[in-house]
Amino acid sequence: MTAVIQTSGLTKRYRRVTALSECTISVPEGRISALVGPNGAGKTTLLRLLAGLAAPTTGQATVLGGAPRQDPAYLAEIGFLAQEAPLYRRRTAEDHIGIGAHLNPRWDGESVRARLSRVRIPLDRPVGTLSGGQRAQVALALTLAKQPGLLLLDEPLAALDPLARQRFLGTLAEAAAGGGLTVMLSSHLIADIQRVCDHLILLAESRVQLCGDIDTLLDEHRILTGPRTDTTAIGRTHAIVREDTTPRQTTLLVRLNGPVIDPAWAVDEANMEEIVLGYMSQDDPGYSTGREPTRLSAVGGDR
Amino acid sequence: MTWDTWQQHRYQAAFAAALLAALAVVLLITGLHAAAVWHSALTQCATSNSCASLAGSNLSLGNPIITTLVIATSAVPVLPGLLWGAPAVASELETGTNQFAWTQSITRRRWLAVRAGWLLLGAGVLAGAVSAIVTWWSGPFNALTADAFQINRFDITDIVPVGYAIFAMALGICAGTLLRRTLPALGITLAGFAGLRAVIALWLRLHYMTPVVAYYKLTAPFTPPGSYLPVTNGLVGPDGKPAALDYNVPNYNGLPLPSACIHATQNNPNPQAVLPCLAAHGYRASVTFQPASRFWAFQGIETGIFLVLAAVLIGITFLVLSRRDA
Repeated sequence: MTAVIQTSGLTKRYRRVTALSECTISVPEGRISALVGPNGAGKTTLLRLLAGLAAPTTGQATVLGGAPRQDPAYLAEIGFLAQEAPLYRRRTAEDHIGIGAHLNPRWDGESVRARLSRVRIPLDRPVGTLSGGQRAQVALALTLAKQPGLLLLDEPLAALDPLARQRFLGTLAEAAAGGGLTVMLSSHLIADIQRVCDHLILLAESRVQLCGDIDTLLDEHRILTGPRTDTTAIGRTHAIVREDTTPRQTTLLVRLNGPVIDPAWAVDEANMEEIVLGYMSQDDPGYSTGREPTRLSAVGGDR
Repeated sequence: MTWDTWQQHRYQAAFAAALLAALAVVLLITGLHAAAVWHSALTQCATSNSCASLAGSNLSLGNPIITTLVIATSAVPVLPGLLWGAPAVASELETGTNQFAWTQSITRRRWLAVRAGWLLLGAGVLAGAVSAIVTWWSGPFNALTADAFQINRFDITDIVPVGYAIFAMALGICAGTLLRRTLPALGITLAGFAGLRAVIALWLRLHYMTPVVAYYKLTAPFTPPGSYLPVTNGLVGPDGKPAALDYNVPNYNGLPLPSACIHATQNNPNPQAVLPCLAAHGYRASVTFQPASRFWAFQGIETGIFLVLAAVLIGITFLVLSRRDA
């Protein structure tokens, strides 16, 4: 399967801050990829680089067969929804449909009207008077009207209540089901994105920690619980992502490399949240056990 | 993009058009009145052969409040730049809507070209329309007082206001792009516009072309014909070299004046009394000025300066907008 997004060593530095460091990822066509990580991990930077809104300091990205660039043909293939869904507050949804119709070669304004009337969002009111959830819906509908090959959504769920999130994700899943659409969306809400996403990229401290299909990642990770003991032996075969030690027992999140043979360890499946939190808290001193946490290098692509 | 620009600015455009119409009505009424007064005065003086003295007379052509209003139109060229130019890019960056606009199927260069193009055109048309009305209105006043070169006439009539307006718009757009904030861009636009206008009006304009020098007798006052732009007044000694003359110092210490003239001033409290004496000893007065015939050349030069600066600013805006991260 071809990769819609392929980056290698993508790095973005601002004057003193490195926003994204050596990012190498691959997202196959048709995936809905969740981009997760703590605040300031570089999620927005990555999305902006892919959308062509910012240029990388070093490294390169290949999106839909070419480098992100300011070019009408490239931009026509990209649907970008920035954080907080910025729209012209004093203009109506209908105005925005008009703008899109004038600025895009492919434009399905009727789909916006249909989507918005289904969720009862008025087309004739300034979008500044709509609720945050409604505005996000308008912005998503407008982004979809471009009929892009790749949808880049930056924290589209942040401002939404649970019901609005459900509607938003419903709209997204429905659009993706049509085929030919690849999605990357950043979010903190693991439970929500798990409903629609089948691919995951985890960024922490401007580096890629994980990248792959969610099913594969779930298969590869296990929670091991056992007596408080030396974990060197386990660490020799498997990669220990995170280690929690209490006076009585040790709990490990490991990335498996074959079966766990030692009967001292109870092996449980890890859920998405445990895996994500495990990687995110690797460097958190609150979780430090006096042992250098194992750092996993980025793992790219589907296998 | 054209449609989008129109959408964004249709209310402002309607507002500007309404103000322009109001100004046109006021100036049409008062201008017709001034023209009528002027023509009847001309007819009258022709019968009595006294038209030469008409210029010095205190003929009233209209209400001074209207004159103040007309002079106030010197603020018109900067307004589009402040109100529409400064926010043109800055407000998009402030609200993040640039991320919406610049991820439609259009390059930033094209987006800017269309938006800036229409705004520059709009500013030029607005300033040109106001200037056209003011120029027509000022006709009788310029004829009466020969003051077309004065700052409160030259700067609000004919073609320079168009240059000013296009420059102010370009400055607003450029400052907004560089500073990414509307309010600071507004301040820079206002300060930059006022500063440049002051430097040009008070200093640079005097030197667009080499001024003409005229010498005349100290005892017979001389005024260049028509409206002229005075550069300097001076005194030329018998040797043909400029001499400094200070009317406020009665004894002319340090000046190579004839002793007879020094006595003339010491015995007379009126410093002007020295003039016949100076004239008798070969002193002449000089005036350097830009003659009335250069009015259109000056209008052209000044408009050109502002248009070139506007082009540079727009060029910078293009460069920054297409190279910098959005």
